[in-house]
Amino acid sequence: MIEEQRVIDFHGHTGRLDLYNGADDPDLILHAMDKVGIDVSCVFNIFHPDGTTGNDITARFVAEHPDRFVGFAYVSPMMAEGMVAELTRAIDELGLVAIKLYPPYTQWDLNEPIWHPIYEFANERGLAIIFHTGSDPHSHPGLLADCAANFPNANFVSGHAGNVAEPRAAAIRAAQDYPNIYLETCSTFRTPGVIEQLVNEAGADRVLFGSDIALMDSRPQLGKIITGDISDEAKRLVCGGNAARLLGI
Amino acid sequence: MSIQFTFSPRVPVFDANVRVGDLHYQPSPCRNRDQLLSEMDRHGVEKALIYHAQTEEVSPIDGNGFLEAWLDGNRLLPQWSMTPTPDSLAQVQALHEQGRVHSVRLHNARRVGLPFRPWSCGAMLSWLSDNRIPLWIPLPDADADELATTLSAFPELVTVLVGAHYSHALWVRPLMTTLPNAYLELSRIEPLGEVEALCEEYGAERFVYGSWYDRLAMGTMLFYLHHTEISESDLELICAGNLHRILQGEGRHD
Repeated sequence: MIEEQRVIDFHGHTGRLDLYNGADDPDLILHAMDKVGIDVSCVFNIFHPDGTTGNDITARFVAEHPDRFVGFAYVSPMMAEGMVAELTRAIDELGLVAIKLYPPYTQWDLNEPIWHPIYEFANERGLAIIFHTGSDPHSHPGLLADCAANFPNANFVSGHAGNVAEPRAAAIRAAQDYPNIYLETCSTFRTPGVIEQLVNEAGADRVLFGSDIALMDSRPQLGKIITGDISDEAKRLVCGGNAARLLGI
Repeated sequence: MSIQFTFSPRVPVFDANVRVGDLHYQPSPCRNRDQLLSEMDRHGVEKALIYHAQTEEVSPIDGNGFLEAWLDGNRLLPQWSMTPTPDSLAQVQALHEQGRVHSVRLHNARRVGLPFRPWSCGAMLSWLSDNRIPLWIPLPDADADELATTLSAFPELVTVLVGAHYSHALWVRPLMTTLPNAYLELSRIEPLGEVEALCEEYGAERFVYGSWYDRLAMGTMLFYLHHTEISESDLELICAGNLHRILQGEGRHD
């Protein structure tokens, strides 16, 4: 909690990534969260194309601290035949509340038809979908405009807000054009002026704080928001107000 | 400690890693000295060690010249860049004769195939070591094996390893263990809990705060460092004390 504002981290991972010394140690994660007033972190597992394996890991992780974590479901069109059934299981049985997609681990641009069953599922239920977005062709955030136009009851979140300048500009344009597109802030680049750009150009009500925990510590990523040259009211929305509204938590 | 939407540091801050000026492919958001000082004021930074962007990929010699316009003799201190050529060595030696060299930053000659080895960099490294001048080495441009083997051949040379990212996560501990006179600059240390873990393992006296502004936003790591289990005295060392000591030629652990 920061000045009575509930803080929600919209971007986190379960599982290990030993190449980068990344591990989902709940004690370390909670320590980082507690040090800067993060109340809830959203987590997902992107390492298993069947969805089931990673979603079970996420559900077990959340179950250890259900007041501090919420889980998102992951599926992949690399195993397209099972996507909707797994989403149904993950949401209805495991209690996961939104969807994470990672186009770089697939062969398709994020607006291609093979993804559409996921978007139809989210559209029917009014769910949020967070994508990895960046400069690679499958993940370009400009493609989110297609999705947002065709599935207006789903909310589409540009993870990393495109990460670097050109895709970030495309993400902002998409958010300006469609009310169901949001921009999430975590990025190892931490480029000066980005938080200000997102808030000033897309609107504070469309920006979501994320950290990429446990790949990265949540503290410097929250620090980007706190030390950004934006109003306190904007910080409240970015740090948690928007996420609470989007997730209904 | 209650967290607030505004932040200012509790301890004096001397930023060990600030870039000024335009890259050849990217203008800086900070156009002049006054804007830099204003940004430092906004984040509660007293002093900064600055180098010029042109030294990164174009010319350390010309870039050092462009740096002069940014210096103010008070809050902005120069870090001269250097590459292992006779012209570059002569430029920095001339500055040293004027009493103006307190640290040097390694230019990346590896991108044209010149490795960081004693046979290629030995004259430069010997001169730096003999004159107790610390060397900043950007890790994004470095090779771990070259660092370990070459710097081991110059054991009295003090180095500051700059910009360790999570992609260097497996390098950091072996290098810090192998190189007792190496310090780690913290601008990109993002792995979960790593700042506290490294300080616990190696002692806070081995670390210096740097923002790597304008490559990175200035305030984020300062905010992080102020929200850890690190003691206030260790925080003071990391944010300014260690850097003062290194720049005074007193960085050796011997």
